[in-house]
Amino acid sequence: MAAPIDRMGLLLVILLPVLFSISHAVDRSNFKTCDKSAFCKRQRDVKPGQSPYRALLETLELSNTRLTLQLINDNNKVRLLLELYRLQGNMTRVKINELKPLKPRYEVPDVLVKDPPTEPLSVLDRDENGVVLSLGADSQRLIISARPFRLDIVDGPNVLLSINSRGLLVFEQLRLRKDTKSETDSEGGEDVEQNVAEKGEEEEEAKEEEDQPGMWEETFKSHSDGKPNGPTSISLDFSFPGVEHVYGIPEHADTLKLKSTEGGDPYRLYNLDVFQYELNNPMALYGAVPVLLSHTAERTMGIFWLNAAETWVDIGSSASVQGGSEKSQTDVRWISESGIIDVFVMLGPRPTDVFSQYASLTGTQSFPPLAALAYHQCRWNYNDQEDVKAVDDGFDEHDIPYDFIWLDIEHTDGKRYFTWDPLKFSQPREMLQNLMDKKRKMVTIVDPHIKVDSGYKIHKEISSKGFYIKNKDGGDYEGWCWPGNAGYPDFTKPEMRAWWASMFAYDQYEGSMENLYTWNDMNEPSVFNGPEVTMHKDAVHGAWEHRDVHNLYGFYVQMATAQGLIQRSGGVERPFVLTRAFFAGSQRYGAVWTGDNAAEWGHLKMSIPMCLSLGLVGISFCGADVGGFFKTPSPELLVRWYQAGAYQPFFRAHAHLDTPRREPWLFGPENTALIREAVRQRYTLLPYWYQLFYHAHRTGQPVMRPLWVEYPENAATFAIEDEFLLGKDLLVHPVTDEGSRGVTAYLPGDGEVWYDVHTYKKHQGNQNLYIPVTMNSIPVFQRGGSVISRKERVRRSSLCMQDDPYTLYVAVSAQGTAEGELYIDDGHTFNYEKQQFIHRRLTFAEGTLSSSNLSPDSQFSTASWIERVVFMGVTKPNTATLRTADGSESALEFEFDPSSELLSLRKPGVNAGAEWTIQLR
Amino acid sequence: MDMHHIAVAVIIWAAVFVESRKIRGISISYKRFYKERKSFLCIDGSKLIPFEQVNDDYCDCADGSDEPGTAACPNGHFYCANLGFRPHHIQSSRVNDGICDCCDGSDEYNSSAHCQNTCRNLGQKERAELEERMRRLNEGLLMKRQLVEEGADVWREKQAELSELQKVAEDLQIRLEYLRKRKTEAEALKEAALAAAHPSPPPEEPRSPIRAEISLDDHDMPKPMQDTDLLIDTDARLQQWMESAEKREESPKDPEARDPATENDPDAKAAMEAADSAVADLKKSEEAYQRLQMEIRELEDRLAIDFGSEREFLFLLGRCFQIIAYEYTYTICPFNQVTQKSQAGTEVLLGKWDAWGGPKDNPYGMMKYDRGEPCWQDPPGLLMYG
Repeated sequence: MAAPIDRMGLLLVILLPVLFSISHAVDRSNFKTCDKSAFCKRQRDVKPGQSPYRALLETLELSNTRLTLQLINDNNKVRLLLELYRLQGNMTRVKINELKPLKPRYEVPDVLVKDPPTEPLSVLDRDENGVVLSLGADSQRLIISARPFRLDIVDGPNVLLSINSRGLLVFEQLRLRKDTKSETDSEGGEDVEQNVAEKGEEEEEAKEEEDQPGMWEETFKSHSDGKPNGPTSISLDFSFPGVEHVYGIPEHADTLKLKSTEGGDPYRLYNLDVFQYELNNPMALYGAVPVLLSHTAERTMGIFWLNAAETWVDIGSSASVQGGSEKSQTDVRWISESGIIDVFVMLGPRPTDVFSQYASLTGTQSFPPLAALAYHQCRWNYNDQEDVKAVDDGFDEHDIPYDFIWLDIEHTDGKRYFTWDPLKFSQPREMLQNLMDKKRKMVTIVDPHIKVDSGYKIHKEISSKGFYIKNKDGGDYEGWCWPGNAGYPDFTKPEMRAWWASMFAYDQYEGSMENLYTWNDMNEPSVFNGPEVTMHKDAVHGAWEHRDVHNLYGFYVQMATAQGLIQRSGGVERPFVLTRAFFAGSQRYGAVWTGDNAAEWGHLKMSIPMCLSLGLVGISFCGADVGGFFKTPSPELLVRWYQAGAYQPFFRAHAHLDTPRREPWLFGPENTALIREAVRQRYTLLPYWYQLFYHAHRTGQPVMRPLWVEYPENAATFAIEDEFLLGKDLLVHPVTDEGSRGVTAYLPGDGEVWYDVHTYKKHQGNQNLYIPVTMNSIPVFQRGGSVISRKERVRRSSLCMQDDPYTLYVAVSAQGTAEGELYIDDGHTFNYEKQQFIHRRLTFAEGTLSSSNLSPDSQFSTASWIERVVFMGVTKPNTATLRTADGSESALEFEFDPSSELLSLRKPGVNAGAEWTIQLR
Repeated sequence: MDMHHIAVAVIIWAAVFVESRKIRGISISYKRFYKERKSFLCIDGSKLIPFEQVNDDYCDCADGSDEPGTAACPNGHFYCANLGFRPHHIQSSRVNDGICDCCDGSDEYNSSAHCQNTCRNLGQKERAELEERMRRLNEGLLMKRQLVEEGADVWREKQAELSELQKVAEDLQIRLEYLRKRKTEAEALKEAALAAAHPSPPPEEPRSPIRAEISLDDHDMPKPMQDTDLLIDTDARLQQWMESAEKREESPKDPEARDPATENDPDAKAAMEAADSAVADLKKSEEAYQRLQMEIRELEDRLAIDFGSEREFLFLLGRCFQIIAYEYTYTICPFNQVTQKSQAGTEVLLGKWDAWGGPKDNPYGMMKYDRGEPCWQDPPGLLMYG
């Protein structure tokens, strides 16, 4: 879906001249820079090195679960409360709030999966200058310095992380507005009076703080933001000695490795619907995950800044002296508009540890139905049921598999979600049944803006239940979006989410069936006539302002929708929900995509770092619109995008309403064949994808990984973003240049070998390999030492392939070994939680490949069997003998190609869930 | 298991057994490749395999020929016999995928799909459809014959109309010549009368040339001939043309202030009137002639349109058809134009008749209308109607 300007008839007329004058890029003036955002400017104007904060060590209290300590700002005498927790799994939580705020400050709920379990902290040493705490049995310590206040986490002699070492802790306390102070004092409730009185005593020496512009009101373009709470922003700095590489804090259309923001704008985290976004830019996009990873050859760490308000992140580098030698250091500063400081420091030390640590806080990737990992065909819009049928038939005619066809906003009755256009989609069940007969599925869009129309059931109910977000004056907030005037349900309310979920019941969402899934778009939320195309910050969510919860809105929309899809099946079926806006924890509810990109080579390239960044912070199910949303791809770009998309987690083609049709068969037989081949490669690899997602779901390890995650000591990998790993065993280097004749892929791993999956040719690791390419090349390599299972009978949809046999690809390491897994379940229910799955380990060593049970307690039966075993990098055996669980032995026929050291065993025929070995002699 | 079930099981087993004796998934014409021997040669000759590996659910031949009855080969084909309907091939990937592709259900011999044999029904339906198509074809041919006849009538009518118009044009041509001549004469008379009425212009008052001319009219002149005199020979059609021309002529301008002298000179007045009348008559007739020529050209253009080899589409000329699709009403006037009107009432010209646009083998399968109002950011519309 597009950003607003694009299709608002009303605005179109007015904006046309503007549109033409800005050519085809984002209109930057629609969005704030730090300078235009009052709190960001205020905070950024604070210079390092003059921290007024002091720890009052005499206030230290240590319980089993936490340490508390007061901090005082020596300038204004406002006291803060510091809470420190040592969390299980090598994490430290640092919380800072006002000791006695005028009223509560927002603390983000629902993102953490539970109260993180703690471990005892103990004081090792203490004097008037500070306190030393032990972080467990190893050499990790947490040092609190009193004046100025700072925290250092050290490991032996090495400082891992320093907090407030640059003195940029700023905590704007809640206050009464000066011009109304006396009035409020006399009218205010007892609590407030008391509070003020107490404060008054404490703050005898407090200097009167001057109001600065933008503290109580702010205007951007024609929008004014009344700030009844005044200035509430917070800021804190973190320094990583010895660190040169930091990653994360998506979503930005920028490099994988974060850049220094000195001299430019900070990275911004504020969910926005950006029309035709620009590449290589720290501007905010649709989603926000305030998680940053640091990495060196020795250690990987992470910072999770749990705050849902508008946030800016400055990255800088400086030099630090450690152990007598000068080292580079990365400085990170977080600035948020409201809420509290609540930081989780994930101490690693390895990348996998950081992923586990973060997963223990916010949960893992939801385990998608298998079909959702297959190919999705979308466009704005498939016009009517006949169109849907024609496209469906087109795929069969051209023998290209697909699993999902998508309907964008035009399928509804006047942009009223949960309805169907009475003329174009008059028989939705018939349409869905036709798809189901072909074992295919559909997704319809359900956006969170609700047409204000007294004849529309959804609106009537939300309105009568009082579930809409309110404007600052207490009425229902209304904004302009696709349906015209629209209300925005308050998804932060649990009752609202429960009601919304109930709307997905088959008897509520008329025309829906079990093969219909959901897409939540525009959930930043997008408000065409709002400031920065989103909601006014002074809109009201119960006790909180929109300012406090903004970045959570999309998270909640997807949460409620996924809940609805689960509920409609009585808790049996796994949901599939795609969202555009997201926050930390969104991985628990489905997939995300990178929004409204464009049919340009740069956007194709950018899809890699964008999805890699998301994977690093828990969101594995990521994809970019194949072909590019805006503009029209050349056939070459379209083919290359299919080839890249086939190896990215969420694989969906999508296109803007105004672009010419681009179903795969519309570009001549050659291009059709190239696209067919790319999609088929995806389908053969579905078992591997599914296993990776199961793994991500269980452990929090990303599916699509930067090379450094698997080769953390190899500095050559730290900035690579034109290739990536799927799991640890497949390396993909898509062709992303026009007219490319070849690519240079870096194959990591000293002493390792990699096999080209198309030619089976073996290559040594730790080299830059030039690969000549033609239009049908998708450079992909399997790691020596791995076993990957495929299903090679590609059919119309993934469900058609459910019972098909497996081919095992055993890529032998330099040491002559290999290892892999095979995961099988029913593909769509939650029964895997009841141990109904097959999980096997495949091990090759000393000439014997064996299948052993990784989960002896689980029970599941499959009709699938082992069709073929392909070994790469072996010598010709004399015999290949299959031995099954009952002890019977049989000789297997095989073919051997000496030039490529390829051995193919014919038809072992054993069930995929069985115990067996194959011995090569 | 009761006896009934055992019986069913035996029958099924028997059926499977019998089935396994023949090669699944091949047509009769391919049977010769699958003669039961010790080995099987892949049809492309690439490989020799033991015969028991034919249809053993493992792909051995690069051309897929060893697995005509399974889904094992990526490039194989399965033959549906479809008795009672039309036999055809499906991709191997559609064998046992849980979707019934062959109407005899033979592609799902080992799947959860419960396929009904629908071939008989399909065959019946197809035959019925064929009959219906024949019936419609005959009807269509009959209708075409009628339309051709109708077209021939219309054609004759239009031709007659054309020749009539051409005849009128000829007559009008003659009249024009006559009127030109009369005008010259009348003007000559007028000049003479002018000379007689005013031998010399009154010196006291300088006059404009027009005024002078008008004053010349005051001569006693023979009465001009009436139109009716001229029309005696012309046919009613021409008269019609002239009358319509007269009606359309603007109401005469106020006569110019007349010089009393000429007003009072009957000869001059008559001469002037005669000249005026001659000029007016000529103008009228010239206009009528021009319009007539235009009409003839229009008619000729229309008759030059390709109405089909037997002018079977001529009947469409001058008719319009409406189609309502969603919120739009489309009006198609063949050989003229196509418009689109929205519910809101705005009408857009989608195209004007250009030519037939069908492919070479069926040129009359499609009409081409162009020069429509342009779409947003697009070149002017081009419409094809099948």
